[in-house]
Parts: sequence; C-alpha cells; structure tokens
Amino acid sequence: MTLGLLLAQQAGAATAPVPPPYAGAYQPQGVDEIGWWREDDESERKLAASNLVIHDETLTGYVKHVLCDAIGEERCRSVRVYIMREPTFNASMSPNGTMRVLSGLLLRVHNEAELAAVLGHEFGHFERRHFLEGFKAQRGGTDVLAWAAVLASFAPTYHTRRAYGDLELSIYGNLFRYQRNQEREADRLGIGYLNESHLRPQAAALVWQNLMAEIEASARAKGLKKPDFNKIAFTASHPPEGERAAYLADLAVPEGAVRDDGAARYRAALAPWLPLFLDDQIKLNDFGASEYIIQSLATGGWTADLWFARAELYRTRGNQRDLANAADFYAKAIEIGPARPEAYRGLGLALMKTGQPTTGQKALRTYLALKPDASDAGMIRMMLPGKGTE
Amino acid sequence: MMLRRSGFALAIATLSLLALSTMARAHKLRVQGAAVTVAGSSVTVTPSRDWNSLGKKIGKNTETWTLDGEQLNDVTFFAGIAPGNPLVKERSKKHAPLPKFTRTTLLVEVPELLEGTHRTYKNSGAFKLLSTQAATFLGRDGVFFTYEFTDEDQLTRRGEAHAAIIDGKLFMMTFEAPRLGYFARSENDFRALVTSARLR
Repeated sequence: MTLGLLLAQQAGAATAPVPPPYAGAYQPQGVDEIGWWREDDESERKLAASNLVIHDETLTGYVKHVLCDAIGEERCRSVRVYIMREPTFNASMSPNGTMRVLSGLLLRVHNEAELAAVLGHEFGHFERRHFLEGFKAQRGGTDVLAWAAVLASFAPTYHTRRAYGDLELSIYGNLFRYQRNQEREADRLGIGYLNESHLRPQAAALVWQNLMAEIEASARAKGLKKPDFNKIAFTASHPPEGERAAYLADLAVPEGAVRDDGAARYRAALAPWLPLFLDDQIKLNDFGASEYIIQSLATGGWTADLWFARAELYRTRGNQRDLANAADFYAKAIEIGPARPEAYRGLGLALMKTGQPTTGQKALRTYLALKPDASDAGMIRMMLPGKGTE
Repeated sequence: MMLRRSGFALAIATLSLLALSTMARAHKLRVQGAAVTVAGSSVTVTPSRDWNSLGKKIGKNTETWTLDGEQLNDVTFFAGIAPGNPLVKERSKKHAPLPKFTRTTLLVEVPELLEGTHRTYKNSGAFKLLSTQAATFLGRDGVFFTYEFTDEDQLTRRGEAHAAIIDGKLFMMTFEAPRLGYFARSENDFRALVTSARLR
C-alpha cells in the first residue's frame, strides 16, 4: 500500500505529457528494424485472411473512430485495426501499425473513454517504438523457437506439437512483454492523449479496477486462495493494477471529469455483437469471471440479453440450485423482452430438469413455434410427447 | 537474460516431453474387417478400411483413430463417460475446469457439452453448431450433430458426432477434419465405422 502510494506520488509528480508533435509516416531504419517490419507485414497479410478476424466494417470503423478520437486524426492514419473473435482481455499493436483488438476487451469495457484508454496505451508503445528496445531479447527468443520447432517436428503426436505451439505463444508473449518503465511511459502517453481529447480521462483507472475485480471473482469461484494476475496475458507484463489505477487516476486532468464518456454510443455500437461476445465468454467455463462481467454490464440496466446470458451460465454449470436460478433468469429475460427464442428453449430444459415437465414442455413448444427451423428442432420435438409431429 | 533462461528451460521441457511420448505409447493398426473393442469398453467396431489407433489418450474412456494424423482426420471414441466426469482429461482441475457430463444432462445438451469442452480444451475461439437431430446410435435413441470450429491454428474444421446415453453413461463418436478437402474425403469411412459400432 505504502509502495503503491509512493509510486503514485512519483508518477503524479510528473504530469501526463502533452503528446509530442507527430512525426508522420515512419519508415523502419537499420537492418534489425527493417527485417522485423518485413516479418510483421507478412503476419498482417495472414491476419487479414484469418478466420478469427471479425469482418464487420461498421464495428471495425467504430473502434477505429474511438481510437482516432483519443489520439487525433493524424496519428490515427498510421493504424490498421483488426477485431479478433477471442474472448480474452487484450489488445496489441505491432511495429508496422497493426492493431489487434480482441473481442474480450470489447465485452469488458463500458464506454468509449475506457476503450480509448486501452487503445491509446497500446498506441503509446507504438509511437515510442518500444518494440525496438526489446529486440535483443527477441532474437534470443526466436533462436529458442527455431530449435524447438526442429525438435517438435520429430514428435509423433499432435499433442507434442501443440506443446510447441504453447511454447511459441509464451515466447511471443515475452516479445510483447515490455519493461515496466515502458509500460509507465505508455500509460502516461495514453492518458496524455485522453486529456487532450473530448473523452473523460478518469475512465482509464476504472479499466484496471474492473479487471482486478474480475480476476478476483474468477479465483473465488474456482476456490483458489490467491488470484493469479500473471495468468492473464495483458496483466502479466503490466505494472500491478492497484498501483496503476492509482497513478492513472492521478494523471487525469480534474476538469476532464465532467466530460462525456460515450457510454450510450458504445452500447449502441456493440449491441449487435453483444450476444455473441457474451456467449463466447460463458462457454469458457469460467463461472466467476462470467458472472462478474454480466453483473458489471448490468449496472447500466438489465436487458433481456444479459438475463439470457446469466441464465445460460447457470444452466451450463448445472447444479440443481443453478437450474432453479436459470429458470428464474430465463423468465426475467422473457418478461423484459424482446427475448431470443432460445430463452424459451433454456427455460423449458431447466424446468424439465427441475421436475416441472408440464410447464417445461409448454416453453419448448413456444420455442418451436418461434423458431421452427432451429438446428435442434427435431431433438426438441422428440421431448414433447404426443405432439411429436406438430 | 531472464528471457533466454526461461526459453531454454522450455526447450528442454519440450525435448523431455518428446522422449516420453516416443517411449511410452505405441500406435496400433486397426485392420479392415476385424472387429475390435475401443477405449477398453464394451463397444466394438468393425472398420471398413485400415485405421490407425493412436497410443495417446486424451482422457479416461477415450480412444483416437486417424488416417493421416489427428490434425487432418480425427475419430474419437468416448466410451462410457460416467456422470460427474469431463469428456477429456482436465489440464488443471482448479485453473481450467471443463464442463462435466452429469446425471441430468439431456441428449439435446450433449452438443453444448462438446462445445464447452472444445472452447476450453482446444482454445477454440469460434465454434458453431450446424445441426442437431435425433438418430439411432449403438441401437438406442441418440443424437447426431454437426459443427464447425476454428482452432488455435486458425484452420476451420468440420465435425460430426453421434451420441447416446446408455445406463446413465455417455457414448459418443466424433469425427473432425479440416473443412476443405479432408472432411469430405473420409466422411463415409467414419459413417461406416459408426454403423458398425455395437454394444456388447
């Protein structure tokens, strides 16, 4: 605590810098950087064709727009944004200007200001070219990878090769593991952009507070004694969140507190994707974290989508008490509306498993009526005695 | 410096893994026309062509067969998963728990069970159920479903599965292969295998 305060004061003493004049389109210099950019260009080509990228012009355009709001049009021109369907909290920016934003991040932030804080931070690494400083470590790292690839190619099973794949991930994780002083510099730059923008800079601290609370909730539900912040890719390389939330709050200009945070615009832009992102999160089988995320999204008001997601989460865990809760939540989703037909499916299944087949079958019939061509319609029909051919 | 050291430690770990996997597990040939029991259970199948049975098991009561390697065509038998157990072995019970098959799991929920397992176990970011329908498996009422998912290697695979719950235990056969080319090529071989499956 005292250390945190001390650091916060140190960071606070140096106020967030006003962003330096932008240098314009940067070209790589020296053999190391040129080589790295070439690899990065190749990796971006693969990324653009990847099945995991969400090809939605509107959503991608919106995220880019939020980034531009924070860092300014001129800087923004050097960035290409790719949104990836991957339910973890992370975003990264590579040397040639490729920004990867994972859907898990979009699910976890609540407004434009919070999103801009994270993206601005990543842009800070890019503008300062922090990658280059870690380049020596990178070359050491890739030597290990090259050898491991040779060894793994002898391996008889996919599982060994997958262990190599994990190794690849962990070493690349290290590549983008900046030093803490670089993280602080990126933090200061990030908040500098926000201070200059029309968004509320105080949001930056909230991102970390929320993330900490989520990791703790996940650990509690798993029965772990201590939350492991290093398990999460994004937090492993970053200064302790507590310290960070403190100094970020300190660096935000006080007069910014009354600014708009863009929460309503953010909710509207995410609305078409929210059910899918929630679904991806729930199926990760991390009860504590999913419950925390749903509750946290619900502070802005419960919607049918949120009740539905919570119901699915409880039904998937599947204890008898969970099924009773799930039935209750499905009913709430239907009550608020407009509920997806799947809410009736879940309600029906949960009721049937808790010894209420009559009401359960009624709900399943409604599901079939609303979605006669559902992928599992045939199976559901079989669960309805006498009405099998309906 | 720290980076290098941890990198080497990882490389050595890979090497020892490799040594282990070559020593302990032998693959076996499953010859055309010869009935064999799978996954140490009472299920027998009679292959319509030669298959390879992999020595490594992904979980208790499972067995994996392939033609060209499990990334290209993977037939997995889940033979008698008891209530309270996950489909495959959990990497970490505490940190990465998998969804469990329970006494109350319904046939129509089996696809969700497989989906939850894939998402956690294979880190599959995108999984889509394509169809679910009633079908007979091992001579009982069962479920037949098809799906598509994109693995960590960013390759989209297609899968289909036949499952039945018999005496409270889950029996299932899945076939997964890259959507382009490989799936269609061996789909009929898998279906022949499913048809030949008997419960003693």
